[in-house]
Amino acid sequence: MTDHTVKAYDVELQDLARRISEMGGIAESMLASSVKALVRGDNMLADDVIRTDSQLDVMEREVNEKAILMIARRQPMAVDLRVIASTIKMAADIERIGDLAKNIGKRVKAIGMPFHQQSLVNGVTHLGNMAQERLRMVLDAYASRNLDAALEVWRHDDDIDALHNSLFRELLTYMMEDPRNITFCTHLLFCAKNIERMGDHCTNIAETMHYMVTGSALTDVRPRAGAVPEADAVSGSEHD
Amino acid sequence: MTQGAAMATGQTPKAKIEVKNLNFYYGESKALKGNSLELLEHQVTAFIGPSGCGKSTLLRVLNRMYDLYPGQRAEGEVLLDGKNILDPAVDLNLLRSRVGMVFQKPTPFPMTIYDNIAFGIRLYENLPKSEMDGRVETALKGAALWNEVKDKLNASGQSLSGGQQQRLCIARTVAIKPDVILFDEPCSALDPISTSKIEELIDELRANYTIAIVTHNMQQAARVSQKTAFMYLGELVEFGDTDEIFTAPREKRTQDYITGRFG
Repeated sequence: MTDHTVKAYDVELQDLARRISEMGGIAESMLASSVKALVRGDNMLADDVIRTDSQLDVMEREVNEKAILMIARRQPMAVDLRVIASTIKMAADIERIGDLAKNIGKRVKAIGMPFHQQSLVNGVTHLGNMAQERLRMVLDAYASRNLDAALEVWRHDDDIDALHNSLFRELLTYMMEDPRNITFCTHLLFCAKNIERMGDHCTNIAETMHYMVTGSALTDVRPRAGAVPEADAVSGSEHD
Repeated sequence: MTQGAAMATGQTPKAKIEVKNLNFYYGESKALKGNSLELLEHQVTAFIGPSGCGKSTLLRVLNRMYDLYPGQRAEGEVLLDGKNILDPAVDLNLLRSRVGMVFQKPTPFPMTIYDNIAFGIRLYENLPKSEMDGRVETALKGAALWNEVKDKLNASGQSLSGGQQQRLCIARTVAIKPDVILFDEPCSALDPISTSKIEELIDELRANYTIAIVTHNMQQAARVSQKTAFMYLGELVEFGDTDEIFTAPREKRTQDYITGRFG
């Protein structure tokens, strides 16, 4: 895209993009660490995740302040306005991903001990990897302004949901098999839910990116599967 | 806002002015190149674009202001309520009473506030004093100036502040009950508060008139208009809903211009 006549404007926009990428990188590593801490029962690593979250909070506030200041100062129009508004939204989604990773970290500490059966956590590990991949993809798509790549993330939103559902059933089975698993598996269920929510935030980021690049909302063009009743369609869309 | 205007009139807005394939020449040089667009009733249409893009020229065609200057001519059609105003047989006085114009610099006549309004009315109508008083009051109220000047109607129009003078000019325009009001950068000589008052006024006026405004201030176009036309080098590059033009324009040239990326 052509540069602005006012050069400082471009510098400010680049700065916003850099901050989002930086926040994304931190969220990505928080997600990875939180799952690792869970699998290993590593309290130190969990503490680390919890601490890092406040850093992400500060960064989100800074992004918002910068963005508001740009709106006041530059009165952005068209694509610039969309970029700035989208940056605010993305920062919020990334910050939420950080919160969810922190929640997992807290839960690791609540569990408080390394656990018995590695097989119980396999599913959660898998889900975590998938969410991490999703986050990495959408952040890459953002960094390179690659709309197709973002749409790819958006289209595969269902995968995480599906895996989360099957994991739910799997954990129920473990609980029924042996009631001593109940406490731990309940913790895992919440962790899985947190991870599933992270996936939703990745989808949000992809949608925001679509708006940022094209100016139209992605939900307008989402292909509806034939005769899905409206109620199902509504209850099915969990991301906000 | 667009829908609001439609609902206010109880129907979809109809075209008040239709510009069809309009070319305009200053002597040899072509200033407008085949412009076509519609000005909808009860809507504000904003014209934006860099200096020399033809937006003021287009505005000056709409009431044939250009006729005052030799060597300037228009080709094509401009239909006002379906009648071509470019027709040589058109009564220009009548046309200009139907299509009023407010200019960049406030231009009050060197006479009293009262006479500034009454002067125009007298050109078209012969009213008894009491009725004239009523018309002057209505016009000044219509231009949101009445409360500020009602106690000094005999003071000179030129004693008012810039913003008040501009509203006096709007009152003068409104007084002869036009159908269409053209604003040619009406706020460029005004401070922000006077500007807000004029913008507020334009929004009120659209309930009764069809409005076209040329402005260099993009935020102003975004604030006051329902439709926006972006012009460049005599060409109408993009014309559409204001909400869309300023958030997601279709044309790259529009985007470059409104985001400040223009060469």
